[in-house]
Amino acid sequence: MSIFSSEVFLAVLGIALVLVSVFFPKIPTRTLAWIGIAGVLASLACLLGASAAETSLPAFVAPYYSLDSHSLFYKGFALVITALVLWLITESEKTLVNYSLDGQIGELVGLPLIVCTGMMWIASARDLITVFTALELVTVSFYVLVAYTRKSALSLEAGVKYLILGAAATGVLVYGIAWIYGATGSLTFEGISASLRDPSTGKGTLLFGIVLLLAGLGFKVAAAPFHMWVPDVYQGAPAPVTAFLSVGSKASGFIILTRLVDSLVISSTLVSVEVINLLLISAAITMILGSLPAIFQTSVKRLLAYSSISHAGFLLLALACRGSTRFDLAAGDVVAFYLGTYLPMTVLAFFVLCVARRHGRGDSLEDLRGLARSSPLLALLMTVAMASLAGLPLTVGFLGKMMVLMAGVDRGYWGVVGCAVLSAAAGFYYYFRVILTLYSGDNSQTSEPIQLSLLSRVIAILLAAAVIITGIYPRPLQRAISGAPAAALTTQR
Amino acid sequence: MITLNHYLIVSSALFALGLAGIIVRRNILVIYMCLEMMLSAANLALVAFSRFRVTDGLPDYSAQALVFFTITVAAAEVAVGLAIIVALYRSKQSVDVESVTKMQG
Repeated sequence: MSIFSSEVFLAVLGIALVLVSVFFPKIPTRTLAWIGIAGVLASLACLLGASAAETSLPAFVAPYYSLDSHSLFYKGFALVITALVLWLITESEKTLVNYSLDGQIGELVGLPLIVCTGMMWIASARDLITVFTALELVTVSFYVLVAYTRKSALSLEAGVKYLILGAAATGVLVYGIAWIYGATGSLTFEGISASLRDPSTGKGTLLFGIVLLLAGLGFKVAAAPFHMWVPDVYQGAPAPVTAFLSVGSKASGFIILTRLVDSLVISSTLVSVEVINLLLISAAITMILGSLPAIFQTSVKRLLAYSSISHAGFLLLALACRGSTRFDLAAGDVVAFYLGTYLPMTVLAFFVLCVARRHGRGDSLEDLRGLARSSPLLALLMTVAMASLAGLPLTVGFLGKMMVLMAGVDRGYWGVVGCAVLSAAAGFYYYFRVILTLYSGDNSQTSEPIQLSLLSRVIAILLAAAVIITGIYPRPLQRAISGAPAAALTTQR
Repeated sequence: MITLNHYLIVSSALFALGLAGIIVRRNILVIYMCLEMMLSAANLALVAFSRFRVTDGLPDYSAQALVFFTITVAAAEVAVGLAIIVALYRSKQSVDVESVTKMQG
């Protein structure tokens, strides 16, 4: 099996699904979505099989493309979130059709596959050209996805905002790459870190480039001070797309940041202090600016947007603590672990929002009042998601937060750890407010019971079980990150 | 004699103008033009850095390869972006940033 095969396969499948939906509008979207999910799951099976089998890279792609345990984990991550987003799209099909221009949502099924191709490519990228191109594949597809439900004024507005700010971030990113190239004379991570050991490299030029590059990437992962777009875009975009943005876009930004910090910090000392300081400052601001406004939100989607910002702060702190080796996780794996914990709880929360929306409830906190009476199961799922996002012990969110905090304490970053504790404490307030709302409301209010199909009930319960079981026994997730199969792969090279 | 610094000064000026335009201008189409200007600034810097890093009498071509990717990506971005802006104009009869301020807070 060739190394690019699953990326190419998904891109072709995505284009094919869009074309089929255009030329054969009779075929129901649900069918197309399930074909997409089948394709994604097939790639996932190939990935799991291939990582154990013999996979060797041709010499000419080796400087640009890698298959280490990290890239395999992030590839699997991209596939899982894509499959779940396609499932969320089938769940909220009715809402999406209502708000799309001609009642056709075929592109909404095809485009996530193309985003997935980009995210898988980013996971393996070893040079800035690949990073840039794959990142843009993801971003441009997201412009379309965010603005897709054009009948809703909010979605269009979110699309325009994301477009303008996203394109500005792209410009800053490329300009940063240009200056890094000017300082180091290389576009591969290896070449950059090699030239950092060379004392003749111009430090000022390099730092200018790095700051711009970090700013561009900070936009993609919703880090302060480049987080202004997040609440508006999350609120306006269709709920499945918001889930995808929140998890997928963040993960692809963080894999690039991990590799970048790897090549800038670990192997050299020329700019490592400055880069770490930048990350720490950004982490502190992000956590504070994410959690404090979240307290005052009345829309659950906006609340989740601010929560996503504050989680980005935790991830940045984890990134700055690279090299701390607690919990059998090597450097940078804490970031991957945190993202792995973030996936199930976020998807679960958005699943509840999708179903509530389908049954005529809006996104605001008041609309969810008394949800427990119409559907005890949905309320329970939301409770699990919110408790885990807050970081309640025995949920997976607690483990992620604890690991980051311990790593920060190990390194002695007390100021930022203090901000993190504050942010987590504020989190307990606003996440539990959601849970309280679900279970409150007077009995006089009659609300029709919400029925879920057997399949969606099974998937949702599996997600909730993943949140709790991994919270008690995290070993499988740790093993997926440190990559038992990938160990065989690295010895081969 | 035109040196690397001259190119970099022009490129920085283009980038600064583009960034200022995004912040100051109110028309989304003009903002979009400013965004393209930022990308052009990056392209100019890349080509200049590449041209002046000569090894064995030849410039280092890796950065010029990135320029081609940037141009292609910019074209794709314009295609999607203009479609979204047209959709905005159809629904609001305006391409002013004031027309997209429904969500606040």
